[in-house]
Amino acid sequence: METALTPEGQSTDILAVANLPVLWILAIGVFAAIIVQSLVYMRAARKAGPAADITEEELTRSFRAGAIAAIGPSLAVVLVSVALLTLFGTPAVLVRIGLVGSAATESASASLAAGTMGAELGGPDYTQAVFVVAFMAMSLSGAGWMLATLILTPVLRRGDTKLRSVNPALMAIVPAAALIGAFASLGIGELGKTPVHILSVLVSAATMGLCMILASKTSAGWLREWGLGISIIVGLFAAYLAHTNGMTPTA
Amino acid sequence: MATADTAATTSGSLAEFDRTTSRWGQATMGAALLLSLAAPIYLVLTTDLGITAGMIWTAYLAVAAAFFVLWFVEPITYYPVLGPAAMYQAFMIGNIANKLLPSALVAQATIGAKAGTKRGEFSALMAICGAAMVHVLSMIFFVGILGTWLVSIIPTDIVDVARLYIFPSIIGAVLVQLIVTMRQPRVTVIAVVVAVLVLFVLVPAVPALAKPATGVVVLITAVLAWFLRSRGKTAAPTTLVN
Repeated sequence: METALTPEGQSTDILAVANLPVLWILAIGVFAAIIVQSLVYMRAARKAGPAADITEEELTRSFRAGAIAAIGPSLAVVLVSVALLTLFGTPAVLVRIGLVGSAATESASASLAAGTMGAELGGPDYTQAVFVVAFMAMSLSGAGWMLATLILTPVLRRGDTKLRSVNPALMAIVPAAALIGAFASLGIGELGKTPVHILSVLVSAATMGLCMILASKTSAGWLREWGLGISIIVGLFAAYLAHTNGMTPTA
Repeated sequence: MATADTAATTSGSLAEFDRTTSRWGQATMGAALLLSLAAPIYLVLTTDLGITAGMIWTAYLAVAAAFFVLWFVEPITYYPVLGPAAMYQAFMIGNIANKLLPSALVAQATIGAKAGTKRGEFSALMAICGAAMVHVLSMIFFVGILGTWLVSIIPTDIVDVARLYIFPSIIGAVLVQLIVTMRQPRVTVIAVVVAVLVLFVLVPAVPALAKPATGVVVLITAVLAWFLRSRGKTAAPTTLVN
């Protein structure tokens, strides 16, 4: 471990720092920004509706349709978020997983950051200091997406053809390679840890595979959204059974 | 605008809509960006944990190496579907592919509006507002209140095990989901081979590469995938993570 850390920094009581009142206030601020934005947008849409050839009633129906369609996916995100609460505390989960990012990118960022501190997410060396560094890295990474949006949207809106005419093959292959590369590396990295880690990866991967097959072969399309939450629960359950039945790796 | 000409009034109020949404979109997104950064900065500055700037930079570089391509690619990919106003919503509310886009499509189908038209854009915007409200309320209630309470009553030994194995349980599922939805078998094979070689051959030989290992995998995979691409057909556009 790094020697600069104070005794407090090496405490593993993550929630003591992760649930501080100031963090709650900042998280509520992010929610407020979203609510204000939606209210302003809805007023602007109603005002300009006639010009866009859309009636007040159609706007309301669109709002309702969007809200209803979001119930399932939102609850699926809730399930994943609750599973991550013990790792990051409520305010960080609300802002990072619930809003800006997704469970996949944010937990990946946190795991990478913890790795640079010589620690493992949720492991015995996952101290307050590791949590804070991971939280900082997640937030900076999330800021990357937001900054890119703030910078690129006005550029794209001006119809900058240079950006839009980027080679389509490049736009199809490079992002896919970056994504699969990042997650393959993280997933395969877990296989180098304890037998219970390997079991968790394999069980959760198999569960997701099953969900995806059922979602495409049957009418259970909802499994696409719920797949991640279900896989996490099944993976954790398998890990719990293995961990408490002697596969405990503590050397 | 004091003109009787309908066409001019029409374009006038659309221009006003664009102005309002881009001004407020940028302002609210900027506020969310600052608030979301303020939380970890507050912890770094006010707690006495011994965290150094070097630790933060090292962690940031490892994360950035893995994701910086996506920072730019995702906004460019989603822009044609979302339109300028909804861009500021989508990258703040998150979960675009699994929640916001389906909501927008359902709403457009409900009122029979085509994507790419003004009607379609307005319908999608209202749908995303609706989705945002449902999402904000369910996060605050089910995660903020119920979830926090739930975690406080679960026995600590279960919490400890869950905390230890949550990441492997996420990553296995995410990897399978990505591979299945992307349908890029060639890229998948390249990524897996590169990851195995980097993690189990290169890193043990050159321990200094342990920290940026994922960034190295991403870089090598991207380069190889590009040069080894099948040149016959154009691949379908990518589904993304956020």
